[in-house]
Amino acid sequence: MMQIPCPFCGPRNESEFSFGGPVKPPRPDPSAVSDEDWTAWLTQVPNPLGPVQEQWWHVRGCGTWLTIWRDTRTHDIVEAPDGGR
Amino acid sequence: MPYDVTFERLETQALHDLKGPREALAAWAGDALPPFPDQPNTKTEAGGATLMFIGPDHWLLRADLTREGTLDAALRPAEAPPEISLVRVSDTLAWFRITGPDAAEVMAVACPMDLHTSRFGPDGAGFTEAFGLKALVTRCADGFDLAVEQSFGPMVADYLTRVIS
Ligand SMILES: [Zn+2]
Repeated sequence: MMQIPCPFCGPRNESEFSFGGPVKPPRPDPSAVSDEDWTAWLTQVPNPLGPVQEQWWHVRGCGTWLTIWRDTRTHDIVEAPDGGR
Repeated sequence: MPYDVTFERLETQALHDLKGPREALAAWAGDALPPFPDQPNTKTEAGGATLMFIGPDHWLLRADLTREGTLDAALRPAEAPPEISLVRVSDTLAWFRITGPDAAEVMAVACPMDLHTSRFGPDGAGFTEAFGLKALVTRCADGFDLAVEQSFGPMVADYLTRVIS
């Protein structure tokens, strides 16, 4: 079980949260990218071996949506890689 | 192992859900409200009413049911400016009071949140889980008050009965 840091409530049990999926890259302009890239953006879910940025909803708490980085190898919540957000 | 606690289902409480910038809420209804709590998931009390800081720009006002009409009149929900929302939600929650020397032990069965006084002080009040349900937890004299969505009231009464027996 993870402890997820809520910006309003502080660390809370994973069971209080609902998973909101990985953060996708920004939506490209469909007319400015190839069909292949557009289809990839629509259908491919980020699933790296390592840190992945995820959205979580504190649904059984304060209701805040938050973003964390989680390492898929260790299940640990980690710092953003390369100093990113 | 029997726990040294008692629990009772409280009568419906007067509840108003307040949303919007604190300054705007204070300007509209400040006289009717206890002072705004500064820390997340804490409460303040004044004049028989309790104000709980339950989320970003989100508060819950609690009082005895006899004061519901007075608070309605003071909050004037229908006339409020558009940047704030004041909604009477008294009927949405079923309340339980768990008191006694082992109240914290029973809460530890129900709730994953750290309810030690160092983390959840005398003014603690906020939403978490109880028996897997979204639940409002706050302290009262000698124990805790616990509120869940109204329709789960009989189920939580049953769970509490099983825990303490
Ligand atoms: Zn939260």
